[in-house]
Amino acid sequence: MGKLDVKMNKAADKLTIQMAGTIDEDVDFSQFNLAGNQAIEVELSGLKSINSCGIREWIKWMGTAGGASVSFSHCPKVIVDQINMVDGFLPATGKVTSFYVPYYNDDSGSEKNVLFRYGTEFQEGSVTPPSSVKDEEGNEMEMDVIESKYFKFIKK
Amino acid sequence: MKKRGISIRYKILLLLTSLPLITLSVYLVLALRIFEDDKIAYVFDSSSNMSGTMAAQIKTQLNSVLGTTKPIFQDYLTQQKFTSISDSIFLNEYNLEAVVVFTPGQAGSYQQTALLEKVPGQTVGVLGGLQSQMATYFTEVEATRRMVKVPFSDDRVFIFEKVSDETKTRNTIFLVIARMSEAAEMFRTALSQKMYLISQDGTVLFGPDGSPGRKLQETVAPAFLKNISSQVAQGAETTKASNGTELLVSFSRAGFGDLTVVTTVEKEKALGAVQILIRKSLIFFGILIAATVILSLFASSGITQALTQLFSATQKVAEGDFNIRVDVKSNDEVGSLADNFNIMAAEVSRLLEQTAEKARMESELQTAKTVQETLFPETRAKIGPLAIAGYYEPASECGGDWWHYCQIGNKIFLWIGDATGHGAPAALITSAAKSASTIIERLNISPAKALELLNRSIYDVSKGRIMMTFFLASFDLETGELVYCNASHEAPFLIKKGEGPLKKKDLIPLNEVNNPRLGQARDSVYEQTSIQVEEGDSVFFYTDGIPDIQNPGKEAWGEREFLKALIAANKDYPGVNDSVDRFVVTFQGHRQGAPLVDDVTFFVVKHEGLQ
Repeated sequence: MGKLDVKMNKAADKLTIQMAGTIDEDVDFSQFNLAGNQAIEVELSGLKSINSCGIREWIKWMGTAGGASVSFSHCPKVIVDQINMVDGFLPATGKVTSFYVPYYNDDSGSEKNVLFRYGTEFQEGSVTPPSSVKDEEGNEMEMDVIESKYFKFIKK
Repeated sequence: MKKRGISIRYKILLLLTSLPLITLSVYLVLALRIFEDDKIAYVFDSSSNMSGTMAAQIKTQLNSVLGTTKPIFQDYLTQQKFTSISDSIFLNEYNLEAVVVFTPGQAGSYQQTALLEKVPGQTVGVLGGLQSQMATYFTEVEATRRMVKVPFSDDRVFIFEKVSDETKTRNTIFLVIARMSEAAEMFRTALSQKMYLISQDGTVLFGPDGSPGRKLQETVAPAFLKNISSQVAQGAETTKASNGTELLVSFSRAGFGDLTVVTTVEKEKALGAVQILIRKSLIFFGILIAATVILSLFASSGITQALTQLFSATQKVAEGDFNIRVDVKSNDEVGSLADNFNIMAAEVSRLLEQTAEKARMESELQTAKTVQETLFPETRAKIGPLAIAGYYEPASECGGDWWHYCQIGNKIFLWIGDATGHGAPAALITSAAKSASTIIERLNISPAKALELLNRSIYDVSKGRIMMTFFLASFDLETGELVYCNASHEAPFLIKKGEGPLKKKDLIPLNEVNNPRLGQARDSVYEQTSIQVEEGDSVFFYTDGIPDIQNPGKEAWGEREFLKALIAANKDYPGVNDSVDRFVVTFQGHRQGAPLVDDVTFFVVKHEGLQ
């Protein structure tokens, strides 16, 4: 098994992809054909990291989707960072339907990833974070990102 | 090198010849021993048969003589004289020479009382010759009833027979003189073995020439003669003759008087066949060993020839010649060894070439590193109101990060970029970027236009294989305006000077515009924007290698710790030198000397005012 695990499920008019692992220079996306689909759903919760060579391969791979609408769900922070930073990482027809926002409590050291969903915690141009996020011990947690940077892709 | 000992060829030769030699020798010794024992048993058997047959024949002949003379004895004892019947019987027996009768006289001693003889007067002479022993003979025959003597000079025998009357008070001794020419001749002429007719005391009666009249013990002293009372009728033994010769002796008691037939045969002669067997075996051995040696030479030369080739080849290898190859065509272990040697030599040769190539490449990389270091500016500078301090550390000899600053007119251009990956390929792209920037700097154009030109340059160099994130800003020395253009690079942080200590919310990412990476597409158009940098404000430029810094446990520093360190280093809005130094101390504390996974580059600029 390679460093990246990709599961593809082709329905009548939709391709569902689940990805887990690492995207780097060793990844070979040519075996995962995106062409010929009207809609593609990519589930990314298992993705651990992506480096600069992996970004290059990702953008080339997404380019093969053509005019298909691509939705990304359960995007981890590593993907959100790349969406914000790398122009073209999110294809022109791409849309994020949900993503994780890291929270932490500096005193207890607790961490939590809170899923922000389209239509609930965010929509075009605006973010509505939960009014309060607490850890298992009831400690108030704060967002572990710089909001103006992390939510940049929503406010475009 | 260790001194060379005996060649394997000779060892194999020695092994192949000594093995059959030892095996056959052991076999020969065992076979000879069995053969010798069997032969001795055979000789004992045949000589015992001969002595037994001869003893039976002697007994038969003597009994025949006595059987013939019994009527004569009876005739005499009845008539007290020989009648015509006795004469008739006597004359018809050609081997009878005389019958002499002895009866006790007045004094008790035996006196001749009658005589039958073929040749008149002849017996007187014979008796005269025996006169001296007659008294002893009479005593013996009194005791033994029957006795046989010989004159030792011819083939006659003297049979003494004591006959008692019915009351056993009066004894008559008959002396029968008869010829046993055939028997005597047989004892004389026995060839392969000697045959003796002896009396109880060992006196030879008949035997080979020179032996009659002598004691057998003078020649050989078999054990059975030492035990006179033994009743063993027949036997055989090995004993030594007086001259030291080993003899196989067998005996058979005749069962007539005290006569015994003894045969002797020299062991050496008896075992002559064994000697022949040994000689023939040795000849066979010689032929076998010669054949073994020849075959061994053929067999060993095949092996040793290949080994000699291997030996020579290893010597060449020891001298540093790894291009040597061994030509062995056999398919056995030696052939496999030669094949493996060839593979090993080829592999060593390849590794040597690879090592030399690696050394050359390392040397070139070192040169490239030295060259690349010239691409970076002085890490500390002050240009007008703008103070600059930077830090750069590649993950390997050459890095893919690059930063730079330069003054064009009244503007300071601030460059930072990160090529895809790191190492030599990325370093080559940074070198191309530096070259292009040198030209672009002279054009006095905006950051967006500059990145458009730089993008074309990178794209033409890498053909889309290597890209570069880039952030270019120009700081106006007079107005404090910072115009920037981002090509998908980590957004720098504007650190606005506030009243209190720096907080996380005071970090303003410069991410209002973003553009494709350099080298992604040739004709990309880049947008720029501007912000105002006030006196006391700083801008922190960096590459993505900083959050990736790992400690020896491979734990990444992470964005949270990175931001904490950035805030801590600038909490009191220090000068750029302090800011950089504090930040370096913090991340080195996490790193603890662990190798970098990506290049680390950052620099801080601060608007310190015109004073």
